[in-house]
Amino acid sequence: MKRNVSKIELTVATIIAIILVVVLPMLHASGMISDFTIKLWGKYLCYGLLAISVDLLWGYTGLLSLGQALFFSLGGYMLGMNLMLMIGEDGQYFKSGNNPNLLPDFMIFLGHTTLPTFWKPFLSFPIAVAMVVLLPGLIALVFGFLAFRSRIKGVYFSILTQALTYGAALMFFRNDMIMGGNNGFTDFKRIIGYDIRESATQRGLYTATAITLVLVYAFCRWLTTTKFGLVQRALRDSETRVLFSGYAAANYKLFVFVVSAIIGSIGGALYVPQAGIINPSEMTPEKSLEAVVWCAVGGRGTLVGPIIGAIGTNALKSWATRAFPDYWLIILGVLFILIVLFMPKGILGLFGQAKELFKGKPAADPVLKPTAEAAPAPEVSK
Amino acid sequence: MTFSTLSDFRTASRRALFPLLCLLGLIAASALRAADSPRPIINQAILEEDTEKKIALINSLIGNTSPEIAALFVLWKEDAISLFKAEDSETKVPVTLGEEKDAEEKQAAFLLLDNSPLKGKDGQPLRILASEFDTAEHDSIIRGAMKGVLDLLALADPNRDKRVQAINMIGMSQEVEKLPALLLVQKTETDSKAKRALSEAVALIQLKDESPEVKIAAAKTLGEMGSIPSRDFLTALKRESEDQPDVLKAVSIAEAQIASHIRTVDAVGTGFRGISKGSILLVAAIGLAITFGLMGVINMAHGELIAVGAYTTYVVQGLFATGIVMQIPTFFGQPITVRLSGANLSGTALDNYFLVALPLSFIVAALVGLILERSVIRFLYRRPLESLLATWGVSLVLQQLFRLTFGANNVQVYSPSWLSGNWTVNDVIFGWNRVFVIGFAVFIIWGTHLLMTKTSLGLLIRAVMQNRQMAACMGVKTERVNMMTFAFGSGLGGLAGAFISQIGNVGPGLGQDYIVDAFMTVVVGGVGNLIGTVVSALGIGILDQSLQQILLNPVLGKIIVLGLIILFLQWRPAGIFVTKSRSLES
Repeated sequence: MKRNVSKIELTVATIIAIILVVVLPMLHASGMISDFTIKLWGKYLCYGLLAISVDLLWGYTGLLSLGQALFFSLGGYMLGMNLMLMIGEDGQYFKSGNNPNLLPDFMIFLGHTTLPTFWKPFLSFPIAVAMVVLLPGLIALVFGFLAFRSRIKGVYFSILTQALTYGAALMFFRNDMIMGGNNGFTDFKRIIGYDIRESATQRGLYTATAITLVLVYAFCRWLTTTKFGLVQRALRDSETRVLFSGYAAANYKLFVFVVSAIIGSIGGALYVPQAGIINPSEMTPEKSLEAVVWCAVGGRGTLVGPIIGAIGTNALKSWATRAFPDYWLIILGVLFILIVLFMPKGILGLFGQAKELFKGKPAADPVLKPTAEAAPAPEVSK
Repeated sequence: MTFSTLSDFRTASRRALFPLLCLLGLIAASALRAADSPRPIINQAILEEDTEKKIALINSLIGNTSPEIAALFVLWKEDAISLFKAEDSETKVPVTLGEEKDAEEKQAAFLLLDNSPLKGKDGQPLRILASEFDTAEHDSIIRGAMKGVLDLLALADPNRDKRVQAINMIGMSQEVEKLPALLLVQKTETDSKAKRALSEAVALIQLKDESPEVKIAAAKTLGEMGSIPSRDFLTALKRESEDQPDVLKAVSIAEAQIASHIRTVDAVGTGFRGISKGSILLVAAIGLAITFGLMGVINMAHGELIAVGAYTTYVVQGLFATGIVMQIPTFFGQPITVRLSGANLSGTALDNYFLVALPLSFIVAALVGLILERSVIRFLYRRPLESLLATWGVSLVLQQLFRLTFGANNVQVYSPSWLSGNWTVNDVIFGWNRVFVIGFAVFIIWGTHLLMTKTSLGLLIRAVMQNRQMAACMGVKTERVNMMTFAFGSGLGGLAGAFISQIGNVGPGLGQDYIVDAFMTVVVGGVGNLIGTVVSALGIGILDQSLQQILLNPVLGKIIVLGLIILFLQWRPAGIFVTKSRSLES
């Protein structure tokens, strides 16, 4: 893989960035694109952020984390707390005179009369934004430190992150958590003073998402071409060799894990005001798996691929759920199986596969030719 | 004591008279009066004017075990006994009425005395209009007396459980007037369970005794028995007897004894539930321990294989009972509705469906596993992380197929009667289904162990899992062995499903409830090690149930268990039992 970004990629990326950041919002402002579409694309791009965070971990470092949905929804919850408090006097209970302290409605429903202490800082938007970065970052730091220190890797890392996500989801489902329980947060009214249902606000949120995605892409592109990025990929291909070469593998992995947690979390924070809801069902291991699948569909280890995968899969899902409500899960499931079996490098890898085919070389046989990051099956030898 | 009203006086005098009558009645019972018809006595009681004598007559039925008593009392209470009076006569005749009414609303009548048809002077059966005659009167005192007779009758019921129930009821209502009857029964009762119930009931009633000594003795008995239902009564007694330090002391001691008994019961119960929960985990995880632990395939569809087993059980049950309806999806067309008629069995024959379902669920799940291995997994042995993704796709497909075929809601699977009862040993409840699950887990582990260590297939499996290439070089057909191993692991998942259908809900999402737990169990136990899976399943089960008992909150308990597992893996990253290897990458 070339260390420098090729000119073609740079040009293509710039064109797509301009389309996403400038053209789409302008089309929306001029009324050629509906509010629904801009909202939908806003959500797709948030999924793109989540997919990039998975790619950074899985595609570049070989860590298959099933905890990305946790970070995504944590980011959403952090911003959601601010949005809930901003509902203020528009809440149902305030209108009926039962909520003098302006609590979010679900708290009144649960019998609270004053705002819990840990909610108070979220009255400030900047603090909420800071928490979007800090809390998932901190959780990733602690969990990653523990996991990488004891050299948990491969499948074990996946299963542990899965357990972490599962446990967190169970926790958020509880009402005593005072985070909205089963229903989560919804019914937002305004964000930093702007009416959240206004189409200008939605456009603003979309533009913010698009800019964030472009910036995150640029950052990851830069990170993966630095020396750090090389070590990262070396870790993926053979962690033992990296260790023996004197690198502190755990620290590298920890850094990537924290960075990708923050990227996922930012994606979630941008997702919530556009989707208008966040609840614990976003936090399940299945959601993480879905993000991994977007990555696989687009082509992992490419950064662009996961974004394409996220947008493509979700667009397919939106279409299939309407066209074949009974069969879309089967379509999706079969698609994943086929991609894993026959397109190990995803959509982006198709070009390479086609090229090989034309040159007369045998197409990459998934059975005979393991991909670079394949780990051997656990050997059982006494 | 002053009697403010006549009725109070009557009640009080009845109370005084009652024990004596009970004694008389029970003694009379021993003189084999059981076969006597109670009709003449009830007939007489209805006609009797004087309440005292009426009650005496009713009470004289004590000891008579004729089932007619209860039926006639009910008729009496429900105003279904009419007092027939012939036009030219002053004497009233109690009659019961036939069910049919003719055009003039008239009903056939039967003499209460001997159940013979009421006849007119001409000897022809009379039909009467019920509304023309009075009904047999009854007031609260008489109804009370009737209930007392019925309660005591139950003490002599041949069915042990009914007897115990009656004894408990008398004890719980602390009816002092029934104490002599209980004491009398206590002398003849031989069944240990009924005896225990009797001494408990006697002690409970004695708590109301006038004398402090009797109270103290009763409290002592209850304490030694560790009688859980007596707690409220002891608390009440404590409140009443604040001026009697001796009684207070005895009650406190009894309460402490009962509390410690409850702790023991809870601890044993928790341990039992923990082991049974662990067994469920084990049954769910053992198949995974083979496919994941030994073969290295991360089968996210294992949960759905469990569901395959559960749905197989459901279908077999349907075939044994009234049939089953399935919607076979045809993809982008109308689904085909398949109706399978059932054998319409019931009772024991229906219960036996489970014995058929067990092997079938293994076979069906193994077949699904075989297809899965041939079509998807065999391409992914070298790419474990990708097997995770592909099998997740499989799990989505299977879940949706369940939803389309059997509906999105949970289906009902009935437990055979021999799985739905329980044993209660010293207040600890052992549900039969849980006991069975434990036995079943032991059986599966034992079977798997035998297969792996004593058969040539087991030998081949172990060889291939240790070193696939080397085994292939030695002439082992590794493809075949992989296929067999995966099918076996899948079949075990199906067996687990048959079980889980007896304990939990069966729905399309069934697999998702178990997959995370099952993976955790295998990882904690140490991959590639069946004993490790056993230890970790039992450990997690007991930990989970204990935390539930302590925190009284199942979800919080589960979260803490997950947290502890994550911390545990810090300490032993490769699980409880580490498979030692010189390989760097394993």
